[in-house]
Amino acid sequence: MRSRKYVYYCLTIPALLLMAAFIALPLGNSVRLSFYKWNGYSQHMRWVGLNNFIKIASDQYFLRTVGNTLIYGIGSTILQNVTGLMAALFLNKRFAGRNSVRVILYMPIMISGFIMGQILYYFVQYDGGVFNEILQMFGGQNVYWMGTGLSATAIITLVNSWQYMGISMLIYLAGLQNIPVMYREAARLDGAGVWKEFTNVTLPLLIPAITTAVILNLIGGLKLYDVIVSMSNGGPNRASMSLSFYISVLYFNDAKAGYSSALGIVTFLIIMVLSWGTSAWLHKKEVEY
Amino acid sequence: MQTGIKAKKTVAGIALLTRKPHQYSSGRRTKAWHYIVAALLVLLYLLPIYVMLNLSFREITDIGSRLALPKKWVTYNYTQVLGGSEIWIGFVNSIIIVMETVAVQIVASALGAYGLVRGGGWISRALGSLNMGIMMIPGTVLLVGTYSLMAKVHMINNLLGLSLLSAAGGIPATMYMYMNFIAAIPRALDEAAEIDGAGVLKTFFIIILPLLKAVTVTQIILTATASWNNYLMPMYLLTKKSKYTIILVIKQAFNSNNGLGNLPQACATCVLGLLPVIVLYLFLQRYIIEGQIGSSIK
Repeated sequence: MRSRKYVYYCLTIPALLLMAAFIALPLGNSVRLSFYKWNGYSQHMRWVGLNNFIKIASDQYFLRTVGNTLIYGIGSTILQNVTGLMAALFLNKRFAGRNSVRVILYMPIMISGFIMGQILYYFVQYDGGVFNEILQMFGGQNVYWMGTGLSATAIITLVNSWQYMGISMLIYLAGLQNIPVMYREAARLDGAGVWKEFTNVTLPLLIPAITTAVILNLIGGLKLYDVIVSMSNGGPNRASMSLSFYISVLYFNDAKAGYSSALGIVTFLIIMVLSWGTSAWLHKKEVEY
Repeated sequence: MQTGIKAKKTVAGIALLTRKPHQYSSGRRTKAWHYIVAALLVLLYLLPIYVMLNLSFREITDIGSRLALPKKWVTYNYTQVLGGSEIWIGFVNSIIIVMETVAVQIVASALGAYGLVRGGGWISRALGSLNMGIMMIPGTVLLVGTYSLMAKVHMINNLLGLSLLSAAGGIPATMYMYMNFIAAIPRALDEAAEIDGAGVLKTFFIIILPLLKAVTVTQIILTATASWNNYLMPMYLLTKKSKYTIILVIKQAFNSNNGLGNLPQACATCVLGLLPVIVLYLFLQRYIIEGQIGSSIK
């Protein structure tokens, strides 16, 4: 029936209106602002064409920030997937209390990344931090954990991976349980050892799970924001900023709204190219069974 | 239909996970090293919570080891926080935002997904792909565009404005989940209702929605926790203390006097602020874990 079809389309109107008002309109506004020089609050705006985009190339913080974003994105992806798969393989074994272990390992995901960073900040502090306390227990010297941009970036990557490892763990647990037992039995009958069974049977059949986990972690890591605010606030000397963090700093601290919008669009393109590329590459590797 | 097959796969995944342990476990015998590794993992994941609890029960003058137990156990940090008004303002605002966001996001997404799946044709396909594209846009990319628009229409310090903003941001993913599940429901059900004279809305609410109970529960939980934990937009949009969410109240407690303030009291605020989420998680962990798997296996 024709009329019924139109009623179906009408049902999408609330969702479409909300997305138009709160996603499409801001997106259009961001694109428009990226062509202006504007401080973010005054009435005065000046059209500068593509100048904001050209300026990005010579920005002293840009390359460093892209590098940090890649460390946050790719580093977290590798760490979360390797540890998540190991945790899943371990928690797929039968022992008393393993369900409680799963519940505890997933728990940090329920806590705001910002708050988690705040708690972990008291671990990496120089004076009285928990890590330095542990070092002293073994007779070591205090360490400036967040002393350089690179170490701050590395520690934030570690904290982010630690907090969200549970997501990959669950995806791999579901993936492992979807592998028919007969494949592994067949491999065992053919004389495959534990390692061979893992690389030749388990891993190829896990590729759909790997695709999901990698893409989720990659996008999450590339747009990292909360943890950076509470652990390093971009420091020292803006050396641990991610692109997301730099966008907000440019807008709210440096009063460069137009330039910030332009950087936002460049960030969007970087994230999209990386995640689509990775996704396409992984989808090609999936096996049918 | 492709999406139908995908949805079935997801359901199978959940069924397998909730089966009793002995049906799929690969290990044959429990060995001692299992318990050693398990204990280390638990220690690694509970240490921050232990430190926070430990700090929250001590006096402000107790600046010794953060790992050792308090020199003197006190509970006045908690009574002081609970006696103040900030934490209650935070709770009330957060609860309002969570309820508004959940209601708008779930209703709009479920209705929209139903319309798209049953409507069919090129319009549905086009809107479906548009939806996928929107899902890829990170929030910070829109920061300047969103904030300057919200300021222009006086939605700063407006809880409903913030709720609508976060609901709109969550709609693409939630709608996508619903589309997968609705595509797996046979059309014959709709047709039977239609023959009996039910309109589209009546069919949706009486026939379809009850079949979507499981996915709705998990989507409510995921939306509610995301909204409760939201930091970026509340941080910039809610500047008045009377509009602070609980996350902003915790942030303020830690940041008072540049972090040199009352650390034990800040930790007590943090424990109290996290408590509702942790308690709900422990009660609903089965749904949450299933929901996480269901929403990630596409």
